[in-house]
Amino acid sequence: MNMHTQPQRTPAETALIDAFGDRLSLLPGDGAVMLKRDDAIEAIKHGLPTRRIESWHYTDLRRLLNAVPDFDPAAMTKAVAPIVEGSAVLAILNGKSDAKTPAVEGVTVQRLSEKLTDGSVAPGLDPYGSDDAIGALNTAFVADGYFVDIADGAELEKPIELQNLQAGGQTHVRLMARVGAGAKAVIVERQAGEGAALTSSVSQLVLGEGAEVTWLIVQEQPETATHLAQFKAHIGKNAKLTLFVMNAGGRLVRQEVMVRTTGEGADFKLRGINLLAGDTHTDVTMVLDHAVPHTASTEVIRNVVTGKARGVFQGRINVHQYAQKTNAKMACNTLLLSDDGEFSTKPELEIFADDVVCGHGATVTEIDHDHLFYLMARGVDEKTARGLLVKAFVAEVIEELDDETIVDALEAKLDDWFVTHG
Amino acid sequence: MPAVQDTIDRVRKIDVDQYKYGFQTEIAMDKAPKGLSEDIIRFISAKKDEPSWMLEWRLEAYRRWLTLDEPTWARVHYPKIDFQDIYFYAAPKSTPGPTSLSDVDPELLRVYEKLGIPLREQEILAGVQKTDASELEEVSDNVYKSGRVAVDAVFDSVSVVTTFKKELAQAGVIFCSISEAIREHPELVKKYLGSVVPTSDNYYATLNSAVFTDGSFVFVPKGVRCPMELSTYFRMNEKNTGQFERTLIIAEEGAYVSYLEGCTAPQRDENQLHAAVVELVALDDAEIKYSTVQNWYPGDAEGKGGIYNFVTKRGDCRGDRSKISWTQVETGSAITWKYPSCILRGDDSSGEFYSIAVSNGYQQVDSGTKMIHLGKNTSSRIISKGIAAGFSQNTYRGQVSAHRKATNARNFTNCDSLLIGDQCGAHTVPYMEAKNSTAQFEHEATTSKISEDQKFYVMQRGIPEEEAIALIVNGFVKDVIQQLPMEFAVEAQKLIGISLEGSVG
Repeated sequence: MNMHTQPQRTPAETALIDAFGDRLSLLPGDGAVMLKRDDAIEAIKHGLPTRRIESWHYTDLRRLLNAVPDFDPAAMTKAVAPIVEGSAVLAILNGKSDAKTPAVEGVTVQRLSEKLTDGSVAPGLDPYGSDDAIGALNTAFVADGYFVDIADGAELEKPIELQNLQAGGQTHVRLMARVGAGAKAVIVERQAGEGAALTSSVSQLVLGEGAEVTWLIVQEQPETATHLAQFKAHIGKNAKLTLFVMNAGGRLVRQEVMVRTTGEGADFKLRGINLLAGDTHTDVTMVLDHAVPHTASTEVIRNVVTGKARGVFQGRINVHQYAQKTNAKMACNTLLLSDDGEFSTKPELEIFADDVVCGHGATVTEIDHDHLFYLMARGVDEKTARGLLVKAFVAEVIEELDDETIVDALEAKLDDWFVTHG
Repeated sequence: MPAVQDTIDRVRKIDVDQYKYGFQTEIAMDKAPKGLSEDIIRFISAKKDEPSWMLEWRLEAYRRWLTLDEPTWARVHYPKIDFQDIYFYAAPKSTPGPTSLSDVDPELLRVYEKLGIPLREQEILAGVQKTDASELEEVSDNVYKSGRVAVDAVFDSVSVVTTFKKELAQAGVIFCSISEAIREHPELVKKYLGSVVPTSDNYYATLNSAVFTDGSFVFVPKGVRCPMELSTYFRMNEKNTGQFERTLIIAEEGAYVSYLEGCTAPQRDENQLHAAVVELVALDDAEIKYSTVQNWYPGDAEGKGGIYNFVTKRGDCRGDRSKISWTQVETGSAITWKYPSCILRGDDSSGEFYSIAVSNGYQQVDSGTKMIHLGKNTSSRIISKGIAAGFSQNTYRGQVSAHRKATNARNFTNCDSLLIGDQCGAHTVPYMEAKNSTAQFEHEATTSKISEDQKFYVMQRGIPEEEAIALIVNGFVKDVIQQLPMEFAVEAQKLIGISLEGSVG
């Protein structure tokens, strides 16, 4: 233990560092943006995180990221139908945003490549900390994405769907959104593709006073893809954010959620479903900072593990010293359905204020035999009964979302997964 | 928020200088030179009259230790320890191996008397009692009624006296200092020492393996229910010494033993290091109950001084249907870093961990447990209660894992934290790892302050605020206190009261 070793670079680390040299002249932005990129690649030169780094304890990226595909200009793919009909679609295909964007009242959309070129997004490019490998990787390579600005008071009737689609190669995108005071919106983040691509995607959201946003991340990468994603949000005074994360694919997936309450009365809800199959590794890591008094949060994560899949949930709630009257609750429930699968969870509470109510619960179990018996006693065969119970276990979380069209769309996704993996 | 303001004011007035065991005793000491080297280890080994295999074992550990780095993952902060500025061996001069209490320095006996550990009375009582075999059996049937406790007293680096040895020997139980065991029972020590916590385990365990100076050894043979509670009292007296004790408890098939350790140290401005290793081995159907009341000097109100308590404790449920239970009441030490663990290797074995960790002043606690499920139908239970007051940081860190073959592993974890004042922190870091689909793990944790409603309810009945809070805190820790042997439950309850004094008005 703890022995000093200066590890040699892995092929993946070397490939990333070499790729940076090759891509440098093609990356948008100079000056401030370039400085951020240089710092970021320096961080990667120090090595990808191993299980020795606490926040990567269950996802040894250095070991798991064993190959990095080259950038592939031919890896084009087409935009897909949005999960909710009538949504305004903003697609990024092979790392490139579309110059033509649909017009939505109260919404200004800019291509991120432009914002990188003019340097206006440079201050937001800093990684989260020294262990933020995804942030560093993305900052080094990010070439495009969207910047979405929703005006104060705007209430969007239809969702905006941001699609990041990739067919092999590498892509590094960033989705930035600012939601004005009192505005209301539903934003869907679709992450999908074909082939063995490497994707890094960082979403940044700032909620103004009293804004209400539902943000859905639907990740359905093929079981050959590596998907490293981060969602960061600041929730202003009396603003409400509901984040829904659905992972239903990918070979190596890490979805980080980093949320900070910045105004009193801020409210955060995280609902997550991880459907794990095959020989895959999926990690959802959340860091939630209650930084001001009188804020609330609830997190519910449901996991279904089949095949040889390995799942991870790490959730840390930090309650800062002055964040009195914080109310935070977190639950992580897992159904482990196969002996070859595994699930690790680390729900953390870090509390520096005394007048708070915080709690977390975590369970790992198999299907309840009593429930199974109940259904089978009514003539339902075992396979169907199991299917029903597993589906009910995750659907419960979806049904909490109050928008019916979204619930229907997500349940359809759930059905698709059970058809292929049930 | 008047209630919060009230709490802040009270915490400001905090006075944690209430450590009643802070006295120091002048006793002629035999010390090794300061610092650590192979020569010092040879010196310790020679002082203890150890066989050469033991010296080799120590040296190997020392060489390994030189290659290790201090762990930094725990949520504790302290200046780097200078291992060359510590006395690794200090022993009271007069007693080169006391055989009875009359050989013991009366000054030493007074120390233990002051601590409330009645070495002499118990021995006298024992002398009066008849010790023929039939009587003994009766005694063992009435363990709890008899309420007697055999004590091993460890003063700085050496065990000064062990009581009730004869009576225990009649039951077949070996209870002595580990140095004595190395000399008298080398085959047992060789077989079990380092088999639960290997010399390469971690930084402090490796250091302990190299320099451990004394500790207790317990061996309960097949089918024997140990006729009384066993207990060790550790006392650190000398300035700048480190205490490195090693405890090894073996319960053979069907055996039962209950063991309690207590610790205190004088008040000093410097920090002192305590790096112990405890190994428990339970064979088929055996049960070991290990209780700790840890009350090392916690430092003064400004956080000056106090003990660094870096301890590795691990129990191995090696046999089927074996059971190991850890109960700890942690009120002392400037820094606590300890994770009493159970390796549930045998089928149907079970592990328990009950903990109360109280921190006040500038204390830092990072404690918890590990339950490693390897065998079939294993179960474990974790109840942890953390109470943070003053400027202290109190962390629960625990791991529960089920390996591939651990079918029907079952765990229940409950950790609650109570915050008193807004300058302290309470943290919960549980790790749950399931690799078997039949595993059933449940974890729940809560953090809150004493609710105004509860306090109001009690105070409305005419009970003053301080007592009301003590009452509520005692209710909060009840689940754990119940697990302690009766005499120590009373002691623990008082200790918690003392530790929290000043923080609650």
